[in-house]
Amino acid sequence: MADVKGGGMTRGRMFLLILFKSLKIRRNRVAITFFSIMIGASIITALSSVYFDISAKMSRELRAYGANFFIGQKASSESRATDAGVIRRAVAQVPADKLIGASPYIYGVVRLDLGNAVLAGVDFTGLKKLSPYWQVEGKWISVDFDDESCMIGKTLAKNMELKVGDSVNVIRNETGFQKSLVVKGIAETGQAEDEQIFVNLALAGEILGQQGKVNHAMLSIVTEGTDIDALAKRMEASFPELDAKPIRKVSHSDGRILDKIKGLMAIIAVIILTVTTLCVMTTLIAIVSERTREIGLMKAIGADDRDIVRQFLSETLTIGVAGVAAGMALGFLLAQVLGQAVFGSFISFRLMVLPVTLVPSIAASLIAAALPVRMAVRVVPAQVLKED
Amino acid sequence: MFFLMLRQSFVKGWRRKVLATATIVLAASLITALMNISIDVGDKMSKEMKSYGANINLVPKSENISLEIGGVDYNPLEGQVLIDETELPKIKEIFWANNIVGYAPFLKVNAEMLGTAKRVPLVGANFDKTVPVAGDEEFRIGVRVINPYWQVNGEWPADDGEGAILVGALLARERNLKTGDRITLRMAQLSETFTVKGILSTGGAEESSLVAPLAVVQRLAALEGKVQSVSVSALTVPEDKLSRKARRSSEALDSLEYDRWYCTAYVSAITHQIEEAIPNIAARPIWQVAASEGAVINKIQLLMVVVTIAAFIASGLGISSLMVTTIMERAKEIGLTKALGAADREVYLLFLSEAALVGVIGGLLGCLAGAGLSQVIGLSIFGSLISFNWVVIPVNVAISVLIALTGSLMPSRLITKLYPAEVLHGRR
Repeated sequence: MADVKGGGMTRGRMFLLILFKSLKIRRNRVAITFFSIMIGASIITALSSVYFDISAKMSRELRAYGANFFIGQKASSESRATDAGVIRRAVAQVPADKLIGASPYIYGVVRLDLGNAVLAGVDFTGLKKLSPYWQVEGKWISVDFDDESCMIGKTLAKNMELKVGDSVNVIRNETGFQKSLVVKGIAETGQAEDEQIFVNLALAGEILGQQGKVNHAMLSIVTEGTDIDALAKRMEASFPELDAKPIRKVSHSDGRILDKIKGLMAIIAVIILTVTTLCVMTTLIAIVSERTREIGLMKAIGADDRDIVRQFLSETLTIGVAGVAAGMALGFLLAQVLGQAVFGSFISFRLMVLPVTLVPSIAASLIAAALPVRMAVRVVPAQVLKED
Repeated sequence: MFFLMLRQSFVKGWRRKVLATATIVLAASLITALMNISIDVGDKMSKEMKSYGANINLVPKSENISLEIGGVDYNPLEGQVLIDETELPKIKEIFWANNIVGYAPFLKVNAEMLGTAKRVPLVGANFDKTVPVAGDEEFRIGVRVINPYWQVNGEWPADDGEGAILVGALLARERNLKTGDRITLRMAQLSETFTVKGILSTGGAEESSLVAPLAVVQRLAALEGKVQSVSVSALTVPEDKLSRKARRSSEALDSLEYDRWYCTAYVSAITHQIEEAIPNIAARPIWQVAASEGAVINKIQLLMVVVTIAAFIASGLGISSLMVTTIMERAKEIGLTKALGAADREVYLLFLSEAALVGVIGGLLGCLAGAGLSQVIGLSIFGSLISFNWVVIPVNVAISVLIALTGSLMPSRLITKLYPAEVLHGRR
């Protein structure tokens, strides 16, 4: 077409004209192409967004298992109790957005009406977030200045014949402390807590005569990979007198479970990506192949094969880019719907999603357009045109 | 005439049909694989969750309140009630026996370590032992089965080994003990010398104690055949309204609810059955594991369901848009049939039966491919096959046909509305 000079029509203008007309006249097909690329791109965007966020989201969910980090006195030191302020400063080293919950603990043996029991002083607000698995009958103690109430383990409650609302005398011989507390809740965990009685930290300090002291603290921290070990090292470096370590039972298992979930999501995302790409391709192939006759006509009036391939590719590319752009926006919305439905929180946007969506979507559209066109340009024009 | 046209459409336009079928196969295989996994993911993840350790604890029924703080017992129990070791295989005879993954008995005593004044806790445990149980020639029990997070730096002692012991990491640091060291323990009259085989880290109270084979500790403490507590690891389903009601009081259930509760693998039902099987013990769910497991598995299941729905919608739209193109390009053919006197109804019938046929073929092939796909996922992620759920096949074929039909409906309507003359003239 390069030698069509008389009409003032350059090759470039002709190309643009065909492109423009093709998009305008075949509005139906353009819409379908756009639509299918958009759906494909949106599903890929949504899934890859969810995939890149899954570790952060699931490790938050796994905090249902409670404490995964322990801060206490170095085993070699003499006394078992340490200053509450030191522990509080150590806890403050954990980034606030990573810390789900934390509570200091102080223990001692006290006498109740019907026998001895282990008394634990805790921070109830922190403990409730730390241990969402506690099965509580009655209520949690909700304020940290409440020095009239206690919570009590289920086995202890049964042995001491206590029910929610009853009052119990707490006596500590060494300090001569005696007070009657109201049982606000009965807790069941299946572990040592079932045999303990819980009060606020300040009250426990008063009962045990150890004001401002704690034995250790338990923390529940959102982690990714091995950053919990790094945190332990950092904390021990800045507080040499403390022993800071991940709780193996929980942190080790967390890692395993996260790996599984991540692997599952990855393989599903790859499969959906492949299948969606193939689906988009088959639709595009169908759309382009029905234009065999048009290709025959273009060849008959002198277009060469390369021109035609270029023509079709740029047509698809135009629609493809628009479709992918719309698809990404839609996909990001879809990811938020997924995030809200499953995790009750938003999925954050990550730049990695862009190439992951762009490359397969655009590549698939171009391959899907090129394949049938290449087949079509090989045909003899007369044959195609005759075959009506 | 109708069948002739239908056949012609498949013979002449085979390319189109192959394309449509291929798309449906792809979409159907995706949905099959995801559905299969969604159904099975709960069981699979529940097995993975076993790495958090035991979820049921068995203790003697008339237990005193323990006064233990940080591994130090302030109330060394005298004349304490213990569990008979010979009773334990009965755990594998309950209704949900197959859900019992393993158990590990423990006996905890205090021993005097020669050369130091303070007594140290000594835990007797099975490490990895096979015991005969009913209906199962050998069943593996011990801490290595149920507590995969226990880590030994060195080597594990044999269950029937003599003179081998593990030292908890904290205790080892405190007393400066290393692998290969020899320690002598004394209890009442008996004393025995052990070689430290390894340093144990668990992140729990065991880190400040010595751990020796159960039989050795039983002999030392003169408590042959007795254990103090048993950790049981069981596969359970998440708690729901029924199990919570049952937990408050099993009398509150009517007989129908009771049967349903008893025959569901709730942790409360399993503990109830263990208590029935072995008198004089109390079986307690360890809620840290039991409750959290349910919460996490529910999340993963929800995630899978939502992803499946998203994939389902996407493939539905993909198929629809393909159907639109394959029908729209036949405008001319339809114009001709209408010009020759075909009623709209007949055109619909043709298209819809074509779509249904493509849907059935595509759906069946897709099920096959999807079944394979889900196995690939199962093997690569969980290292085991995904159980194939037969309900997936009819559901999937029905869905494929439905999508193909709905996808064809809209373009069929458009195309039958066209005037034959216009189409044939080539204006549309």
